Amino acid sequence: MLFDLEVSTDDDGVVVCTIVGELDVATAPKLRQELVRLASAQGPAPRVVIDLAGVDFLDSTGLGVLLGGLKRVRSHGGQLALARAEPQVLKVFEVTRVIEILPVHDELDAALAAVRG
Amino acid sequence: MAVAAPPRRGPPVTNPTGPRSGPRSGPRPGTALGVLVVEDDDGDALLVAELLEIGLPGAAVRRARTVAEAAAMLPGDVDCVLLDLGLPDSSGTDGVDRLIAAAPSVAVVVVTGADDERMGIRAVASGAQDYLVKDQLDERVLTRSILYAVERRRAEESARRLFEAERRRDDNARMERALLPRPILASEDTGLAVTYRPGNQGAELGGDFYDAVELGNGWLRVVIGDVSGHGPDEAALGATLRSAWRALVLAGFPTDEVLRTVEQLLRTERHHEHAFVTLCMLDIEPARRLASVTLAGHPPPILLADDARFVADDLRGPLMGIIDRSHWPSATLELPERWSLMLYTDGLIEGRAGPDQRERLGEARTLEIVRRHHRSGAVGEVLIDAVVTEVEQLHGGPLSDDVAVCLVDGRWR
Repeated sequence: MLFDLEVSTDDDGVVVCTIVGELDVATAPKLRQELVRLASAQGPAPRVVIDLAGVDFLDSTGLGVLLGGLKRVRSHGGQLALARAEPQVLKVFEVTRVIEILPVHDELDAALAAVRG
Repeated sequence: MAVAAPPRRGPPVTNPTGPRSGPRSGPRPGTALGVLVVEDDDGDALLVAELLEIGLPGAAVRRARTVAEAAAMLPGDVDCVLLDLGLPDSSGTDGVDRLIAAAPSVAVVVVTGADDERMGIRAVASGAQDYLVKDQLDERVLTRSILYAVERRRAEESARRLFEAERRRDDNARMERALLPRPILASEDTGLAVTYRPGNQGAELGGDFYDAVELGNGWLRVVIGDVSGHGPDEAALGATLRSAWRALVLAGFPTDEVLRTVEQLLRTERHHEHAFVTLCMLDIEPARRLASVTLAGHPPPILLADDARFVADDLRGPLMGIIDRSHWPSATLELPERWSLMLYTDGLIEGRAGPDQRERLGEARTLEIVRRHHRSGAVGEVLIDAVVTEVEQLHGGPLSDDVAVCLVDGRWR
């Protein structure tokens, strides 16, 4: 299945993870691997934004990986935010109320501002 | 462990493979048969190499002078080791043990002196596939013995895999019983049909669980839940939570307290700290006219009466194990005179669908399937099996996630 993960770092050192495709049981391990790497490679207080604009499906394994990433980044004193979820993806965060601890921003800039603090 | 003596040599084939046809099949299809000759005498090694050149012209032949050297080259691409038993760094059959320890799946054929055939037999008892007597060697005997040894080793390997697969199935069956218990239902006017299909073509259990208990006071309480992830840890956690749920319900605790305790248990028993659980719980009153639906991040149940529709689908209850100080909202549902409620885990609605299976089925199309089978008059197990089967067909085969479906039905009293 189509899945692509790109990572870029801006001038402030904020990492943006752009995902395209389905974030599910088959593809979520790739994101987990990347988040583990990012959390430890960024030094103290990593700041990570995951851009979900290209994600058309999210299952519970994908949700688990995002929650694990949140925990990992925060344990390093960092911040993680999500941006631009499609309605069917946003619904997963709403139905499970995960949105209360892992906000999903409508715009990428808002997510970037949120992790900059 | 006693090893039954193998039949001497291979099956009686008049022309084992044809001396020049090379191996028909080896354990690694598409690659040359790998033979490692372990022999300290250069002359004998040369002789064996020439015989192999004639008998197995396609084989990749390598040589080692000692058992230690041979063990270091394993497993490499070696299918069969031809081991001389008179090497300087080994005595008796210990070379066989050391090579098998280095590469458990490799075939071993030992070569003994004419006055030492008993050593060959002992080597076979130690795990070698065959033995050859040095001065009786010719290309035919050598070829047949090597091919036979490789095939025999491969057959042993498949038997072992089969055994492990069976043991795993037994484990799965045992775990399934813990996850999916016999419900406690007392009255004849209450029905429960269930199905559970492990994901990944039956190979892997997930942590889906369900249970139903009818209490002495007439209340009927039902749960379906899903532990995030797949595998034995998740299945064990699901089984633990399921039995805790049953104990709390039998003890008469109210729903919110049951769920809070189950979550507390989840937080202390889980294998990693971001494992979570979603669940749906029903409390149906003794008169069977009202039901209370509670959702913890779980997809909503389907009410089947004249029509089929989702109920409580605007409830937003948090999933368990992630959000602190959770409270789970409930919705009260007025039941029609005869009703069925279908609970399911997300495997049912997340199968693939559409042309080339590019889309996901989703809630709306799942509801359409349920509605159609319900209208055709299917009930109970027939209904849920028809639904799951159609979902699998749209998916293009068995679902990758495990699926549990429970259908409870009853009528006003």
